[in-house]
Amino acid sequence: MSPREGQMMSKLIWLSLGLIVVLCVGQAATGFAETTCFQCHKRTDFRGKVVHQPVAEDQCSACHSPHVAHFKGLLQKSGASFCYGCHKEQAAIFAQGIVHQPVRQGQCLTCHDAHASEAKGLLRGHLAESCFACHKTLPSKFKHTHKPYAKGDCLACHQPHQSGNIQLLKSKPDELCLSCHKSDKVRQVHRNFPREARDCLSCHNPHGSNRKAMVRNVLHKPYKKGCTECHGQGRISAETCLRCHETIKKEVRALHSHLLEQEGCSCTACHSPHAGDTASLLKGSRKQICRSCHKDTFNNYQDKLYIHTGSFDCKECHAVHGSSHLAMLKDGGNKTCSRCHETQGKFTHPIGEKVLDPRSGQIVTCVSCHNPMGTDFRYNLKMSGTKDLCIQCHRTY
Amino acid sequence: MILAVAVSLFSWPLPGYSAATWQWLSSLKGPPFGQSMRMPSALYCDRNLERYYVVDAGNNRLLSFNKDGEFLNEFNANGQLHAPFDMVKDCEGHIWLIEKGGNSLTMIDLENKAVENHSLSFNGQTVFPERLEQEDDILYVLDKTTGQVLALDMDLKVIRNFACRDGTGFVDFKIRNGSLWAMERDGKMVCFTMDGKPVSSVVLEDVVRFPYSLEVGPSGIFYVLDRHGGDVAVFDREGRFRYRFLTPGQAGGRLYFPIELKFDLWGRLCVVEEGNGRVEIFKR
Repeated sequence: MSPREGQMMSKLIWLSLGLIVVLCVGQAATGFAETTCFQCHKRTDFRGKVVHQPVAEDQCSACHSPHVAHFKGLLQKSGASFCYGCHKEQAAIFAQGIVHQPVRQGQCLTCHDAHASEAKGLLRGHLAESCFACHKTLPSKFKHTHKPYAKGDCLACHQPHQSGNIQLLKSKPDELCLSCHKSDKVRQVHRNFPREARDCLSCHNPHGSNRKAMVRNVLHKPYKKGCTECHGQGRISAETCLRCHETIKKEVRALHSHLLEQEGCSCTACHSPHAGDTASLLKGSRKQICRSCHKDTFNNYQDKLYIHTGSFDCKECHAVHGSSHLAMLKDGGNKTCSRCHETQGKFTHPIGEKVLDPRSGQIVTCVSCHNPMGTDFRYNLKMSGTKDLCIQCHRTY
Repeated sequence: MILAVAVSLFSWPLPGYSAATWQWLSSLKGPPFGQSMRMPSALYCDRNLERYYVVDAGNNRLLSFNKDGEFLNEFNANGQLHAPFDMVKDCEGHIWLIEKGGNSLTMIDLENKAVENHSLSFNGQTVFPERLEQEDDILYVLDKTTGQVLALDMDLKVIRNFACRDGTGFVDFKIRNGSLWAMERDGKMVCFTMDGKPVSSVVLEDVVRFPYSLEVGPSGIFYVLDRHGGDVAVFDREGRFRYRFLTPGQAGGRLYFPIELKFDLWGRLCVVEEGNGRVEIFKR
């Protein structure tokens, strides 16, 4: 072999080696998925403006098992705990304060696409579409609609995962409003206010209403007449309201009432004294109002396997102003239930005045065995109905 | 040295559940052959007679028991009580009673068989009494609408008030170790001198579902009754959670909608249980 031929041979060997290296590196970069997964699964289905990092790196096996798995979609695990495996910081943050229901239930995929999306944050579709998919009772528009709401920019005011403020607001309601609506202008349009205007949501619906300036649709009768109907007659308190609302006056004179221990007027903790969306002039939906104080009850309810699913309107069972029954129930542990559960009211395990619970000597009622606020046992039983619950009283069995 | 370290380690209970600290001693229930208690709401310990009084709110009556928990008597003022909720006795032996049904602070003179209903007001506003304590001829009333504690002389004039600075209001209070301790809805404790000046406050670790009643131990340890959790949480003087005891349920020693926590005259911890219609007494 001549020296020239030797040089040629050497170049060829290096070129071949180079090609092998390039091919190997290329294979490694595209991963197993390039050659295997995408032989069946269309790559185009996993493309979008935003692509989940493991998908972008063809690391399908970061989430899926290629052969067998316990979970749908051949996933290695299910629920949020799987996502938190990489998104470690979120696990701690999303457990704090008021947590959005899908987050609490570990259903990240309710809002997010695991592979790719056209929207920031891998959202499924447009942000507002995701929100309205669950929040169905919210109208898409009002006669007078708040601009961010009209644009579908829910995140202008709300946090999607968790928040320390009611209704998952980004900050306290007044602070949030004043972050856009400058205080000078607010003062100008509330000229007759005896003090600085505050508690914006008491009169305004932040999404929209049929009235100008998004004042809530139903006005309190005295407010219609003029401010002096309530103001200017000494300090405003629950007594101011009870002067007109005679029936409530009787209700709050029960063993337990919602006259709240707070400065000012107890009633305005839940009701707006000026305007509301419904005749009861509540400051928000009933659930939101109740939750603002009873966070623990709502959290417990959401965490349980078996919950009272027929209705989740607190007022269906509880007397919200006052009651002399346990847990502020409307009619005690039997009548409250049998208003809906008619059959059980007639044919059931013995209950009522003549049947005493041997554990406590109290009258046996539906809530002696059931907890409608949620349990981990079928039929909302407090313990397992196969044995544990029964032997609490029937010890000889 | 090793012994000192071991003692310091084990003398303070570690955070978490502890069942060994307090043991069930007895229950105060209704009359042995009469009607069971229904939604009892408060306990009062009579130092002179060494008796317990229980306000049986659901049955509109008061029940008395001796130190050993044996039932003594029942009293309903000839059917004149309307949703009684809390009680104390003054130096002259008169019973002072909060009656929610009539929104009244009622004085019962047992000797003269007289019942006087009093409506209270402060700063021109009706007071809705919720809790009651008595010390040195002064009645201390928690007003449910404002969440402040009012000190009343025996003519029922407000002589001072114990108010929360940020306006959130108190849900319960106790007079212990020469101070008035009041608890806010979120579990914050505020300490007042008896002339109404707030001197300190302690924010408790957020481990109680629904704080409802408080007690303060002789060494300043806080006991907080969790109405929804059905247990008692214990905190040190800085508000750090130490341990909790008792569990929810209906069986003896368990709690179902407990409503009041109180140390009796003998250092025993008493829990008034609305749901189970009894008072559970625990000793160390």
